[in-house]
Amino acid sequence: MTRFGRREESLPDLMAEAARAALADADVERPDAIVVAAMNPEEFTGEGNYGSLINTHLGFSRVPALRVETATSSGLAAFYCGYLAIAAGFHRTVLVLGGEKMSHLPTPRVSEIIGRSIDPHERRYGTTMPALAGLITRAVMHRTGLTLREISQVAVKNHANATRNPYAHFQEAVTLEAVMDSRMVADPLRLYHCCPISDGAAAVVLHAEAGPVRVAGIGQGTEAIAVRYRSDLTSFRATQSAAQAAYRMAGFGPERVEVAEIHDAFSPFELISLEDTGLIPAGKAGRATLDGETALDGRLPVSPSGGLKARGHPLAATGIAQIVELTWQLSGRAEGRQVKARVGLAQSIGGIATNNWVALLEARP
Amino acid sequence: MIHETIVSASRCPRCRRLVVPPAPSCPDHGLRMEPDSVPGVGEVVSFTTLHSPPEGFRSPLHIALIELEGGARLFCHGDETRGIKIGSRVAVEAVDAIFYFSSLSFADRARLFWRRAGARGEKVTAITKSVVKGIWKGRSRG
Repeated sequence: MTRFGRREESLPDLMAEAARAALADADVERPDAIVVAAMNPEEFTGEGNYGSLINTHLGFSRVPALRVETATSSGLAAFYCGYLAIAAGFHRTVLVLGGEKMSHLPTPRVSEIIGRSIDPHERRYGTTMPALAGLITRAVMHRTGLTLREISQVAVKNHANATRNPYAHFQEAVTLEAVMDSRMVADPLRLYHCCPISDGAAAVVLHAEAGPVRVAGIGQGTEAIAVRYRSDLTSFRATQSAAQAAYRMAGFGPERVEVAEIHDAFSPFELISLEDTGLIPAGKAGRATLDGETALDGRLPVSPSGGLKARGHPLAATGIAQIVELTWQLSGRAEGRQVKARVGLAQSIGGIATNNWVALLEARP
Repeated sequence: MIHETIVSASRCPRCRRLVVPPAPSCPDHGLRMEPDSVPGVGEVVSFTTLHSPPEGFRSPLHIALIELEGGARLFCHGDETRGIKIGSRVAVEAVDAIFYFSSLSFADRARLFWRRAGARGEKVTAITKSVVKGIWKGRSRG
């Protein structure tokens, strides 16, 4: 993967950087197929037909390539498609890559483009992703007694992890006070509860032959695009369904997961997601985070990469970056932030939790 | 004082789910929905104040999600969120196809209760129960 952050390179160049590193690492000269994830390059950079643009840019114009999109979870959606192609016996090696380039645009424009993943009727009310996340956060705090301190500790923990990740957007630690005193964005959410606008790309090579890490399970879950159609704001059905499908396929449950990469586009989403995936019992994620259980040296390290908050969130790159981090963690290559784990879980949220994914990776003995 | 409005909705013939504004198909059953309507009075599910709203909206932007009787939820704008809590009873009204919420005073809630009890004799028991519950909740919250 590439370093995330403000990058001057074009998206095809960023994707090529990530792809070359993944191919070299897998010792694959030329993949049988390519799956590209990009959420909205048409509007961020003005380019479309991304499968063809990227396979040609990589010098693989004869390799079949397609593009996959499920909003902000497009990376794990592409990983799923690559996995299906191999599981079905169509291909032996598939290059899965994703990325986004947005930092060259003004922030209101980026928010507006990302906001197009929201229900059109609800967008007429000026709802943006932070607005809906603010609404959800207030509902969770009211229902479960989750505190702003517990929510803020997610950002503190993820920034601390990112100081050990050379690929991360932010390399600085933040204090709990700095998070809690940061500018109000969408009451009760503050600036440091929200992920940054990042550029970057990530890539992984899936292989039919046994490697050091295997895909144990993968699942998708969905929810109506309209937030007003949900009867409950305090958990995400799409994550719960995705997790159930992934655990069913793996033949084991959350008790075997020892490291997780979670979609903290907004800090409270990490806490909701830890409970939706069954990694932490309902109502306990805030306390567990404050107690250090999810820290790098805790019982269940969560987002050792720094998560979306601090590693950064180049939309379609994110799900694949989670897979890359877990692969490094499970094969003992996460230098400077290595945890002890044999099973890892990646969870990715598309839109305002309308199209979510959970993947389970396992180290081979 | 507020005046009660009627909000257009649609209902799934299978699961009886009510949605606002009316939609062509039930989000869960793919069936064609039937036209319906619901009184413009409900309860705050959650709310936020957005300090950097998108183009075309003034900051700060007050947005609330309101649940109407019958379970349909809708987004609303409001002049302010001071005095509003999750569970507060509010009235909703559309102006230029955008819904706005406003707090219900104790007098408003009492008036709505009596008017509705008179207008819909056949449903009096159910409505009385629901409104009395609403008034009681509103009062107990202060």
